[in-house]
Amino acid sequence: MRKTVSVLLFLAGITLLAGCGSKSYVVLLENPDGSTGAVVVKGAKGEQVIDQARQGAAVDGSAKPAAVAEADIQRDFSSAMAARPLLPERFLLYFESGGAQLTAESNALLPKVIENAAKRPAVDVSIIGHTDTQGRADQNEALALKRAQAIAELIKKKGLKVHALSVESHGERNLLIKTADETSEPRNRRVEISLR
Amino acid sequence: MRRWAIFATLLCATLVRADAVPIGYVKNVTGNASVVTAGLSQKAEVGSPVHVGSVLRTGPGASLGVTFKDETVMSFGPNTELTVDQYLYEPSQGKLRMNSKLAKGSMNYVSGVIAKLQPDAVSVATPTGVIGVRGTQFLLKVEE
Repeated sequence: MRKTVSVLLFLAGITLLAGCGSKSYVVLLENPDGSTGAVVVKGAKGEQVIDQARQGAAVDGSAKPAAVAEADIQRDFSSAMAARPLLPERFLLYFESGGAQLTAESNALLPKVIENAAKRPAVDVSIIGHTDTQGRADQNEALALKRAQAIAELIKKKGLKVHALSVESHGERNLLIKTADETSEPRNRRVEISLR
Repeated sequence: MRRWAIFATLLCATLVRADAVPIGYVKNVTGNASVVTAGLSQKAEVGSPVHVGSVLRTGPGASLGVTFKDETVMSFGPNTELTVDQYLYEPSQGKLRMNSKLAKGSMNYVSGVIAKLQPDAVSVATPTGVIGVRGTQFLLKVEE
């Protein structure tokens, strides 16, 4: 008996969701890296948290999340999913202490950066310089910019073609590894390249 | 004299607006799609810039893909309209925000660095409810 009731409830749930296939709804997917995040739905009729991939809920918050059939996902979203651009890619380059000299390992990465940029439509690139906390903040601001500019010059010379390029300094304000002031930390002496 | 000052100020404001750094670019288009910025509608093409306040539109049978500076990736199916209401991406200053509005249509959303650093600062509004984005990929459909 209890089993029949739960089967009926399950069927009712599917019917409800099928009904909401014609309305406004959200479906959580796995992240490209395989993890799963969450979305919070806040509507006039309630608030729901969806934290299971392939579950969905009406946007008005009226019903708890429930599984969404693959056929519904394909019907409503195949076009949007097919149009998803190539996901951005990020490179980290590291420096010898105090100057704008790349470590040998990072130097060897540059051809890959240029090759991958060339595969992207209208590629826009950010080159962001960072330092560790050793030295004065204003000098680090300038050093990080010098590093970013040096990398920009270097990879342009090596053949990087871009649709848009931004070269920025975050100085010692955006540490990869949190440290106290006046700390030499090789992993913070870096330039980030974001290919989009 | 004062009138000239006002005129000059307005002119500067307009120029700044037109020159403002784009927050993203169109990466792919099929069919008829447009980007409307500061009231000016332009046919969407690969490389078209997107600014704060831009409205992205796709027509029947069309689709569009856009990548933002913080690595947020959005793509849209046919008959869709999305507005980027707010976009702040200055991680070193702690200024992070991305609010958009899907008036109709369908989208695939892959959140970027803003959602990673400040998950409560990213949302997509719809006519009937708001989606809070907590670092994830999701699909959203809005039926008028």
